[in-house]
Amino acid sequence: MIAYLARISVKSVVTLFAIVTVTFIATRLSGNPIDTFLGDGLTAEGRAELIRYFQLDGTLWQQYVAFLRGVVSGEFGLSFVDRRPVTQVVGERLWASGQLLLASVTLTILVAIPLGILAAIYRKSWIGSAVMTVAFAGYAVPSFILAILMVLVFSYWLNWLPVVGNGSFLHFIMPTIAMSGVLVAALTRFTRNAMLDVLGQDFIRTARAKGLSEARVVLRHGLGNAGVTVISVIGLQVAGLAAAGSVVVESIFSWPGIGQLLVNAALIRDYPVLQFGVITVAVAVVAINALTDVAYALADPRIRLARS
Amino acid sequence: MFRLMLTTALAALPLYASAQEITVGAANVSSYLDPGRDHSNVGSQFYYNSFDTLIDRDHSKLDPEWTPALATSWELIEPTVMELKLREGVTFHNGEEMTADDVVFSLNRMMQATFPPYVVRAKDRLANFPKAEKVDDYTVRIHAAREEPLWETLISLQQVMIIPEDYTKALTGDPDVAEDSDYEAFALAPVGTGPYRVAEFQPGEKLVWERFDDFWGEQAPLRRVNVVQISETASRMTALRTGEADIITNIAPDQLSLIERDPELKTAGSATALFHVMIMNQNHPKLEDPRIRQAMSLAIDRDALNEALWLGKAVVPSTHTMAEMGALHQPDLVTFEYDPERARALLDEAGYDGFEITFDTASSYYTNGLLAAQAITQMWADGGLNGKVVVSDTWTGGSPDLMARNWSNPMYFADPFGSFGVMWAPEGPSQSEGRFNTDEAYADSWERFRYSTDVETRKAAYRELMERVKEDPAVLPLYRPFESWGMKKSIDWAPMPGHIPYVLDFRAGNITVAGS
Repeated sequence: MIAYLARISVKSVVTLFAIVTVTFIATRLSGNPIDTFLGDGLTAEGRAELIRYFQLDGTLWQQYVAFLRGVVSGEFGLSFVDRRPVTQVVGERLWASGQLLLASVTLTILVAIPLGILAAIYRKSWIGSAVMTVAFAGYAVPSFILAILMVLVFSYWLNWLPVVGNGSFLHFIMPTIAMSGVLVAALTRFTRNAMLDVLGQDFIRTARAKGLSEARVVLRHGLGNAGVTVISVIGLQVAGLAAAGSVVVESIFSWPGIGQLLVNAALIRDYPVLQFGVITVAVAVVAINALTDVAYALADPRIRLARS
Repeated sequence: MFRLMLTTALAALPLYASAQEITVGAANVSSYLDPGRDHSNVGSQFYYNSFDTLIDRDHSKLDPEWTPALATSWELIEPTVMELKLREGVTFHNGEEMTADDVVFSLNRMMQATFPPYVVRAKDRLANFPKAEKVDDYTVRIHAAREEPLWETLISLQQVMIIPEDYTKALTGDPDVAEDSDYEAFALAPVGTGPYRVAEFQPGEKLVWERFDDFWGEQAPLRRVNVVQISETASRMTALRTGEADIITNIAPDQLSLIERDPELKTAGSATALFHVMIMNQNHPKLEDPRIRQAMSLAIDRDALNEALWLGKAVVPSTHTMAEMGALHQPDLVTFEYDPERARALLDEAGYDGFEITFDTASSYYTNGLLAAQAITQMWADGGLNGKVVVSDTWTGGSPDLMARNWSNPMYFADPFGSFGVMWAPEGPSQSEGRFNTDEAYADSWERFRYSTDVETRKAAYRELMERVKEDPAVLPLYRPFESWGMKKSIDWAPMPGHIPYVLDFRAGNITVAGS
């Protein structure tokens, strides 16, 4: 188990390093903050002065080395725009994004797993078909379409739900649904398939033969074994959601989270915020993946034993 | 009975006033608030409510009518020295009283700037002012290097709004020294003398103004204003409809009808005092012949761009001029025209062989920027030019490979010097980037335009500059984009002609909210 954890850690660090490097290079090749947010009308001399002031005057390599030194010593620099430490700028957004992610994952699990089980049990009836049709449709609708549609119906037409910010419970409804939409669809399908696999196995027949109630068969023996697959899917999808889904949804709902922060930082090329923001998200994704691996191993002794 | 009515009315008055709270849904909320270092369109929205200049103007009028603000009177005591008497009993939002020390500090932070973001902004417009000095607690003098035709204009710039000295210096490090980090800290905790104090500021997210009860002038009409960033246009429009916002900013022309159809809502707008321009590189080897650049300019039907992209609401200028420039506005001068026939003839004369001319544009930096670029290259094709749009977020204005691209020339203050004069001065941004050349004759015209104290001389000199641009084009002003705000019908607010673009002026008399 320790060797297994060590391997995961090394893998995670390498992944993070690659992400950080790509982010560094990509942001710097795509334009610089002097041109994008300091406005028009600088003389060449004034531009040079600001480039020095923001310490952008070294070669790309020098800047990269300076940046890596900062990462190692925990110094991630100041935002170009508001001149606050990026750890603070990103940190104060973390909770808002975390809340939304947590709400979405909870909603997903509460909806998708029962639906998946339902679809597996009633796979031959209209209930199973209906669930799967909705799941397929849901998978095909990107979160921003879902978000805009909800805004149109529930805010613009009906005026039931607010669209701006995260001030109350009502504010959570649309962003949470928009974030979970695709996830619910994916997890429902995976749960159904995993359950079907398991329910066809010999030990289920044995369990039934023992005279266990159907509920006990399905939930304990069925879901207990299908759980391994389900966990890995939740892990992967949540990671993807943390990285990508929030950017769009947070922008639409003016959610003061990391996604919206990153969009703004990218537009004005606020490198330090962008870099640290991406690192934060990457760490979250890598951590979720690592946790998934661990959970996977705990849930299935075969993996744990085979790998160590 | 009368007495009862009177007491009721009196009792209702403060209640009515204190109920005044609105929320503004802004496409962008600043990431910092320092009127000195900022000259962005985002920032200019927010300063006038919280800060004052020494001299102000009547913003309801196009022509400048100077009014006393933090200075109650001013006069030239020598041709290059202005003495200003300061208003007594003015308090900053932190409770400190404003004295000459604060004023001198605020002016010299720009006039003798050491903080790089101040340096670059002070150079282009405040270069003629070496220093300000204190005479006594309520008297200051401002020195000019040369006679200055634009005293009031330049003393009322956003960049020289007054901030408190002791407060700023004490923000970080040594409380008696103004360090760079003090100015950076100030931008997150701004303090001024205006009618609204910044009660809460979350960079790039939220700004809350509260009425400042000790304001020296007429009390602010609103008790509280929340400005929240709603970057998505669709969300902004929805927020206005749901009532989450009372005013929203930056509505694209094609969205206006959506708001106007709603019986509860209305829009207000104006042609912004800012030109979207096309710039051309005089020094590109293939474009050195001015006839080719003349043709690039003549082939563009700017009225068609206006109709198609701005529903005809933008303003297409005949030369680099705007009505806001008062006495210096010269609408009769025509130096930019649409004449595709002449464009073709010039290309023939110049022996244009059909080489490709690139037009650079960012994908979304300027409203309609990409669409305009595509339309322009199409118009070029009709005029015999082989154009190609290059989309890139990188600024190419300083590249020797630049052929043409879009840019903007904002009016930083109401004078041609505040627009053309900043961008196209000898050794200014355009020349220093290597795409625009000036010679002695140009510099001579520019000198007279900038420094002559005779309006007619300035106008004549400006005409000379415009003729030079016509002969050897480096810029074509396309139009003044039309900018709109949406709001509830109960709110009476509109952008004012005497302001620089985008100012959200919520001072007394400039906004009213009915029946809350």
